[in-house]
Order: sequence, then C-alpha cells, then structure tokens
Amino acid sequence: MNRFWILIIIYFLIIATTLPLFAADESVTVNNNLTFGTMFPGIPKTIDKSSANAAEFSIGGDAGAEVTIDFSLPTYLSSGSNNMQIIFFTDGCAVDSNSTPNQSSPTYDDLNPWQTLTYDLGSSGLTVWIGGKAVPGFRQPAGTYTADIILTVQYTGL
Amino acid sequence: MNMKRILNLRIGIVLFGLLTILILFTAVSNSFAQEVAVGSATATVLTALAIASSSNIAFGNVYQGIATTIDNTDAAAGIFKVTGQVDAGISLYFQLPEYLSLSDGSSRMTVSFNSTDCSVDTTGADSPTTMNGTKGWLDGDPRSFPGAAQIGSAGTSIYLGGKVTPSLYQAAGSYSGDIILTVSYNGT
Repeated sequence: MNRFWILIIIYFLIIATTLPLFAADESVTVNNNLTFGTMFPGIPKTIDKSSANAAEFSIGGDAGAEVTIDFSLPTYLSSGSNNMQIIFFTDGCAVDSNSTPNQSSPTYDDLNPWQTLTYDLGSSGLTVWIGGKAVPGFRQPAGTYTADIILTVQYTGL
Repeated sequence: MNMKRILNLRIGIVLFGLLTILILFTAVSNSFAQEVAVGSATATVLTALAIASSSNIAFGNVYQGIATTIDNTDAAAGIFKVTGQVDAGISLYFQLPEYLSLSDGSSRMTVSFNSTDCSVDTTGADSPTTMNGTKGWLDGDPRSFPGAAQIGSAGTSIYLGGKVTPSLYQAAGSYSGDIILTVSYNGT
C-alpha cells in the first residue's frame, strides 16, 4: 500500500471521528397553531399558553446543547385589507424540557416571548407554547384573520 | 524518491488538508445554522352588529292636560331593528328621555316608560301589532332586557311604547326627545 492510499484512509478516519463531535442540526416544528376560533366584534378573546388552542412548537437537537429561541410576532391579524389587533403578553410563553412535556405545569413558565429565550435541550428537545389575545373592534368586518408566528432556534455552541 | 513524487505528495497533503478544513468548516457552520418554523394565529370574526331605528314612537296630537299612552304593540310604537350574527346573544340598553321638548328648548313635556313598555321580537318582523309571546319577550321592562336575548335569523326587532303627559298649560308645538338603544354582543 503506497503512501497515497494510507493518506486517504487517514483522511477518512479523521473525518469519521471528528464530525460526530459537532452537534446535529437543531430542528423546529409546528405542532399547533394559535387558534382563537369564532369571535364576536367588540369582544376580545384570550388564549392562554396552557390552552389546547395555544401555539405549540417542538425543538429537536442534541440533548444538553444550549439554544436560543426567538419569536417574530405579529401585531395584527389580517383578512384581506382588514386588520385586527393581536397582543402577546410578556408572560405569555412557556417552555418544557421534559420528555413528556407538561403544558399545564411546564419547566419554565411565564416567559417573555418578546425577548430571546435561552435553554438547554432536554432528552427530547424542548416544547414551546405561546398564547395571545385578539381584539376585534366593534365594527370589525367579518372574516377569517391570520398572521404568521415565526420561531427561530439556534445553537449557542455551549 | 524523485523530486516529482515528493512534489505530488506534498500537493496531495495540502489538498487533503484543505478539503478536511472545508468539510469541518461546513459541519461547524451547519451546527450553528438557524432553524425556523412558521406557525400561525387564526381567528374568525363573526358578522358585526348593526342597529337602526325603523320607526319613532308617534304620540300624534295630544291635548293639554290629557295623557296619551302608546302600547308597545301599537302601530305607533317605536321600532328598532338589530341585525348581526344569527343566534348570537346580545345585550341591549335603552337611554330613555324624561321629557320631550320643543326644538328651541322653550318648553318641555313629561314622557315616561313603564316596566311593560318594551317587547323583543326575535323574528325580526318589525311589526308590533302582530307581536305575541311566542316571538320573543312580550311586555318587558325597557330598563332591564332579558339576558337571553339573541339575534333571530331575520334580525331582532325591539318595540317600545310610552306615555306623554302634557300639562294643563302645555305650550303648543311639536315636541321630541332622543331614545338611544345600545346593543352589543355578550359573547354567548
């Protein structure tokens, strides 16, 4: 075996042994959307973060790795050219790191979704919930109103 | 070993090194890449409420010293029409005047509304003369509407009667006063 092939083998050994040292890509999926259901004009409705109608996200990745969680939240829902105010409270978010997430008693509760959240991934990642309040006007035009809730997750390297 | 082989070997080592660094850099970059999920918030807003005064209470000509009463099932009763989300519960609130006045405000005449002067017709018929108890709430209190009032498939009509009591020396003229009905969804 000449040196060239020895180098090839060494090369692949280096790659094979080094790559696993780096974290697997994190992942984030939407389990539930924030659903207000039917609303009467002039009557606000609040969906608590512990409600079945709260938005739920799952974050996957290497257990123990630290991630940052950032929401990009809308300030209104829209239906065509009509808008309706939506409010996200500064304690309207919760995070659970248990393998069996407990929405009614999460590991980290009453979190501010307007700030960057930093937590370690649990053995099954993290589960994130967020509630909100929609405020239709007295003369809010009828229709189905929607808006995006964007969740961005990133390893911190710790 | 000739110089050419040594050179090739060195070039190979450098290339492998660069390739390794590239792969590791890519791996590191991926491990710090962002992941983004886009959820949504949704709400369905029901039909907005609308209210209109279909007909005013018309006491017609009255004589000094002689009170005149209009029943809420009389053709001259006041009529309000509420429309919106069918079967939705509503709350109603009257602001009733205590007197009518001439347009220049120079004279007033007492008007009163008793606890049976109002009916709520959930058929939305706008017809006080055909109102009866099967169509909603008959002869109710205009200051205390039924809590279960709701919007019928053709809207809900509110009928209002009342009584004016001109004095013996009531100044002649056309008297009027505002009757304000406020309606809102109660969430039921």
